[in-house]
This record gives sequence, C-alpha cells and structure tokens, in this order.
Amino acid sequence: MSCLSWGGMHMTFRQFAFNNVLRNKRTYAAYFLSSVFSVLVFFVYAVFAFHPNLSGGSLNSSVAQGMFLAEGIIYVFSFFFVLYSMSAFLKSRKKEFGLLMMQGMTSFQLRLMVFLENILIGFFATLSGIGIGLVSAKLILMIAENVLDLDETLPFYVPVEAVLLTFGAFILLFMSISIFTVAIIRSKGLIELIRGSDKPKPEPKASVLLSLLAVLLLGAGYGVALWVRGLMVAAAMIPVTIVVIIGTYFLFTQLSVYLVRHVRNRRNLFWRRTNMLLFSDLSYRMKDNARMFFIVAILSTVAFSAIGALVGFRSMTTNIFVLENPYAFEYTSFPSNTADAEEQHIKLIEQTLGEEGIDYRRVSGVLRLQAQIGSDDGVDVIGVSEFNAFAAAAGQKTVELGDHEALMLYYTNPLNVGRDAEPHQLQLAGADSVVELEVIGSRESYLFPVYTQMYVLPDQLIESLQEPVRVLRYHVFDVDNWRGTREAGRQLSEVLRGSQGYTFFAMAHVLHVLNQGFGAILFVGFFIGAVFFVAAGSFLYFRLYTDLPDDKRKFAAIMKIGLTDGELSNVITKQLAILFLVPIGVATVHGAVALTALQHMFNYSLAKESAIVLGSFVLVQLIYFLLIRVRYIRQVKGA
Amino acid sequence: MDMLKIEHLSKVYGGQVTYRALDDISLTIEKGEFVGIMGPSGSGKTTLLNLVATIDKPTTGHVWINGQDIHKLRPNQLAKFRRRELGFVFQDFNLLNTLTAEENIVLPLTLEGERVKVMEEKVKRLAERFGITSILGKRTFEISGGQAQRTAIARAIIHSPKLLLADEPTGNLDSKSSRDVMETLENINRTDGTTMMLVTHDALAASYCHRVIFIKDGKLYNEIHRGDNRQAFFQKIIDVLSLLGGNAHDLSSIRV
Repeated sequence: MSCLSWGGMHMTFRQFAFNNVLRNKRTYAAYFLSSVFSVLVFFVYAVFAFHPNLSGGSLNSSVAQGMFLAEGIIYVFSFFFVLYSMSAFLKSRKKEFGLLMMQGMTSFQLRLMVFLENILIGFFATLSGIGIGLVSAKLILMIAENVLDLDETLPFYVPVEAVLLTFGAFILLFMSISIFTVAIIRSKGLIELIRGSDKPKPEPKASVLLSLLAVLLLGAGYGVALWVRGLMVAAAMIPVTIVVIIGTYFLFTQLSVYLVRHVRNRRNLFWRRTNMLLFSDLSYRMKDNARMFFIVAILSTVAFSAIGALVGFRSMTTNIFVLENPYAFEYTSFPSNTADAEEQHIKLIEQTLGEEGIDYRRVSGVLRLQAQIGSDDGVDVIGVSEFNAFAAAAGQKTVELGDHEALMLYYTNPLNVGRDAEPHQLQLAGADSVVELEVIGSRESYLFPVYTQMYVLPDQLIESLQEPVRVLRYHVFDVDNWRGTREAGRQLSEVLRGSQGYTFFAMAHVLHVLNQGFGAILFVGFFIGAVFFVAAGSFLYFRLYTDLPDDKRKFAAIMKIGLTDGELSNVITKQLAILFLVPIGVATVHGAVALTALQHMFNYSLAKESAIVLGSFVLVQLIYFLLIRVRYIRQVKGA
Repeated sequence: MDMLKIEHLSKVYGGQVTYRALDDISLTIEKGEFVGIMGPSGSGKTTLLNLVATIDKPTTGHVWINGQDIHKLRPNQLAKFRRRELGFVFQDFNLLNTLTAEENIVLPLTLEGERVKVMEEKVKRLAERFGITSILGKRTFEISGGQAQRTAIARAIIHSPKLLLADEPTGNLDSKSSRDVMETLENINRTDGTTMMLVTHDALAASYCHRVIFIKDGKLYNEIHRGDNRQAFFQKIIDVLSLLGGNAHDLSSIRV
C-alpha cells in the first residue's frame, strides 16, 4: 500500500526518513511536543519583550535589559531541554536502529537519517510553536494586563521581530543539536542495539559516608540560612546555595538509594502486599530517577524562590506603603504657601471628591515646630484633641493626657530600625518660662509627615509655648474604600503638582504608579519561574513515558498471575506519587527556608506570601499528578 | 471428581474478518490428572488455555474449575481467583527482572498478605525440592533458562493451586533443561496430586502427560492415553501429529 502511494517501488532515502517520521507519529510525539513547548515559551516571551508599549514605553532601560537577559536564559535552557528530550527519544529507539543496521544500513546512513529527522522535527516544531504562540498571544497579553494591573494596555500586534528572532534562534538550535547528536551517536554493538533497553541496569551503590554528608550539608545549609540575620543573609546566600545544591545531589543519589536498599533488606516491610512491586522498581530505576529528582528539585526551588521573593517584595512594599499612609489623601501646607492658595486647593479636593461621589471625612490640624531646651533642634508638637481626630480617622486609639503629660510619636519601618523610647522629661521653651512635661509613653506613628520623633501635648499647653519656629498645616481626607479613589487621585495629582509650598498625596494613585514599575519585573520573574516549573513537569513526564513500555510488560505479567485493579492502581499511584511529589516536596522545603532567610534579611514577615506561592505550586503539582495518574493507569492497563 | 469442566466452549474474534478460534469444545479433566493439549499452530490451543486461565472471555460456553463457573466472576474476583486457585507456567517464564528469584517465588503470597515466616519456609522447601537454593538471591538475568523455569514453577505452586496451567513451558529451553522441567512438573503432579493442563508443541514434553488431547481448527480432533510406556506414548503422539499435518518441523523426534 505504502509503495503504491509513492507511485512505485522507488523510495529514496530522503523519502524513507520523511515517512519514518510521519508514520511513527506516536514515537516522535513526545520529542516533538517538548520542542514545540520550548519554541512556544521563547516566542511568547519575545512577543512581550518586543511589545511596542513595553519596550518603548514606561519601562526604563535596565528593566528592558533584564528582559532580554531573561530571554537569553530561556534560550540556553531550551537548548538543554531539547537536548535532553532528544537523547531520551534516541534511547527509546535503540531497537529500531539495531534493526535498520541489521538490514544493512551503514553508520553514515543512520546518522544521515537521524539528522534529516531532526531537521524535519525541528522545522515543524518551530513553525508550530510560533503558530500556537500567535494564536494564544492575545490571550496571554490580556491575562498579563489584568493580573499585573498594567496601565499600559497591551494590544495585540503583529510581532514581526519576535517571529524572526524565534525562527532564526530555533532553526540554529535544532541545526546545532542535530549535528551534535549525530556526532555523538556511538555505533554500539549490534547486539546491544537490538536488545534495546531490555538489559537491566545494575543497582547503584550507596555510600554511607556520602549519605551522611548529604544530611550534614543540608543541615548546615539550612542552619546557616535560618540563623543569619539582616545583611548577613546576602553574604551567606551564595555559599549556602552551593552547599544545599551539593547536599540535594547526594540526598537523591546516595541517601535515597541507601534508604530504598534498607527497605529492600527488611522483609517485614518489603514482603508486604504490593510493597515488593513498588520498592523493587524504585531501586531498579534509582540511578535514572536520582539525577532527574535532582534536576526537578533544583528547577522547582529556583522557580519557588524567585516567584516567592518577587511576590514578597511587592507585598512588602505595598504593605509598608499602606501602613505608612493611613489616609486616602493628604495635603500639607508649608509656611511659604498662601492661605488663599491653601483654601482653594482644599476646595478643589472637596469638590472633586464630591463630583466623584466619594464619601470622606476631612481632618485638619497644625504641626508646630517648637524650640527645645538643651537642644539646638526643634521638635514638632500637636495638640491632643487634633491628634485624637487624626488617630480616630486612621482607626487608631485616641489618648488622654494630664496637664503636664506628653506622648512621644516615633516613625519606624521594616527597612530601618525603630526608635523606641523610655519615659523621660521634655523641656520646651514657653512664652514666659520653661514648660516641663512628663513623657508618659511612646507610640509608633505614621499619621503625620514627620519622619523623626514628635510629641502630643495637652491643648491648653500649646497656647503657652513660644511662637513656633515653623507651622505646617496638615489636611487629610479619610475614605473607607480608598482603593476606589484612584481616578480622583489621578485628576487631583495632575492639578496639584505640589510645587509652591505644599505637597499633595493621593494614596491609591501613587500606589498604582508604584505597582506599574513592579509589573514588568514581576512579569519577567513569573514567566521564568513558570517556565522552570513547567520544564520540571516535562522532565517528569519524559521519565514516566520512557518507563511506560517496561511498566506495561511488567504489569501484564503480574496481571496474568492475578493482580486486582485496585492493587494495580495502588502500586502505580504510589510510584507516581514518589516521582511527582518527592522532588517537589524537597523543593518546597528549600523554598520555604530561602524565603524565611529573606524574611530575616528584611525583618518583615513573608509567611503569608510564602505560603500562598508554595501552596499554589504544590496544588498545581498535585493536579498534574492526579491527571497523569489517571492517564498512566489507563495506559498501563491497555497493554 | 472433575477439576476442570469445559462445555460447548466457542471463541470468535471480531474485527473486519471474524475468526472462529474455538468451535464447540467440551472436555473434562479430573482431579489429579495431567493432561496435554496439542495441535498445529493456529489450532486454538493457546486460546483454550487463555479461556481456562480466565485471561480471556468465551463467546459462548462455560468453564468450571473446581465446580465454580469462572466466567461469572467479576474482574477483581477473577484476579484473586487466579492467584489463589490457579498456577501459571509460561514459555517466557514471566519473571520480574527487578526481583530476585526468591522474591519472584513469594510474590503471589505477598499480595495475599502472608506472614514472612511462612513464606520463607515455603520458599526454602520448594527451592530444595527443585534444586534452586543456590540461586535464590540472584536476579533473573543471572540465572539459566532451566533455573528460571524452575523458579517460575516454584512461584506457580507456592500457594498450592487447584489447577496448574502450563503454556509451552519447554519452548525456550534446551533438551536437558526441558527434561528437568518436565520431570519437575511430573513430580509435582505425582507427589502433590496437583491437576495440570499443559499446552505444548513438544512431543517429548507431552509424553509426560497421562492423556493428550489434540485440537485442529478449533475443534477436538483426537485423544490418546498413556499406558505404562512413555516411549510408546511418545511414538503415538508423533503418529497423531503427522496425521494432523501442521508443520513437520514442529515435531522434535530427536529428543528421546
């Protein structure tokens, strides 16, 4: 039949190679799909990097540079990923090669065939990747726009540059990988090729010493990472990373082999129900698995830490920002501002808020800089009734002061160290005499635009002080739903640019601008994290489908003797659970330690963010595991 | 008492061209009997074995093993029935290469949740009986074909099955190993009284049976009984086979 379709018996070698690919779709599918995946990732990323609104717009050059650097990382990664897929693919075809060589195919012809196949697959993978990328680009652009809350809309455009770059880069990649692969195909003995992967691998040996070393290295790495504080974290980061990577390697290549062997030698455990099937397989595949576990664990750790850190940073800056700015709008009038202008500005703010239908509470107060006895520096003070109005608007506790009592307010934030104070005496210059005050306590405060200490004084005492050195009039507008004031804030900020003797601050608007800058960086981080994570998933998938024929044969043999469906599912579920969840489990612990260290560096709790990031990765992996499990069990049974 | 009873068993394979692999076969095997099934390639003997082994389902007809209509069992019951009541010996041994010989032998018992002590004792006894004690700790690719098949036989009888099914057990073995394996099976039959059904091409292997049933084109063709003389029985088998036609080179007349 096949000969007829070619119009006769004359099939050229090129046609043979071509048909070989087309007619063995299933064998080639995994390799093809992973190639398409690499191309797709690279291309979609390029669509962003070259987006006219991003590259020409608000992003500064260092961010743009970072984006191209990331593209480079993706390319290098793609190279190794395709190479790995390629070698897995060639390994599964040993038998076929043996058969071809037995039919008299020369080594040169075999290499030529592999080369032609590769070029063919590479070419179509590149086209498909770009094609799928073009189709999905709009969707991904929309998701990015919404998730990252970007102002710049990212409309769909025809990404000529991205297409050309991707096409060129991947044709080059597949060419070099083809040449490289062809060069390293070793003409092994024919007999070995024909036997294919039937020959059982010897079980790897585990050294007790290296197993202990794994525990020690991981323990030391974790210990240091969790113990150091502040800037020491940055200094310890690289050595700890190296120690943990080596420790992880030995954990999988030595300690796990050691543990599985231990189980094998304990008959009460090993000879129990389906354990024998499970653990014998584990130890049998340990050598391959160990290396793969290591790669997957490290890739996932990188993804976890990078995304966790970025999300943490963003949340940290946002939280500090929200904490330090309790009011939706703040207007500060300096002495150089005229009373007229101030009145006009306040009117404008109230009018705009009214037009936008925003409910607000306005609180106004005066901050006076008073001369202090025994110090050249003055100190800001505010009357207690005004303070209480501000505090109430910010939802904080009000205070009551006795006649000669004062409360100290101090400013602090996670990036610097706060100044807490013991009760002490405060001496201010009064109109007639020195005014002595008992400072009854101190409180952290972000209510006023004063970034050192200041004091709250009884109202009547303010009157008896000297003429203030400087007076700041401070108006705030408290809005319950401050996030809804972005538009009003934008309008007002355009008018009240804060040049002559006043400042205006619209919180929702400023926060939004701040997040814009983060958006691009976050996006790059997310993207690379996601790529690493998905790649880790594909490594697992490859590993699994390399083992599928073996598993099919094995389970067919046991089913004949009598294995119930439940027992089969049980063994496969455990086997897959170990494959999918052990490396991710290790990565989660690594990631948690890394994020904890980060948290110590900034003295700011990232527990919630870490939990969300790690939790969602684990959840995704669980879903992936469950999906693959159903499919795999069906395929093994379908033998 | 009948250990295996087959009544009007037929198997038709569907597809574009339907193919009748078995056509109205009825036969019985009594408890303690050792019965061979022979026939040319494509005669349906493997189909018959698969139906008895509960690996395949018949189109029509019934199979009773020890009074139980096996095709009325649900899949999970079937799996448990196979590993409790049946023993299997295969041409390709069907040993797991990730396990040692000893682990392969106890595998059916581990699935049943047997105690380690009991399993160890049983393995020890069987290994001594079949002369494979020295290879118990070895992996399957480190032992010879004959040793592998004796290991597989040990696995097949470790749970004292009601019926032992053997599919070309000597197909992959040289003549010395073939004879060892057949003597082992004969010994099990005689000592333990295990009922056996053997499907084979090998006239020498068949000559160890009490009775040989011949099938051709899915139908019963003939049946001969062994008298006292195995040599004469072997000759009778050869005669029937040559009458049957089939492939002359299937017959191994040199091994006696």
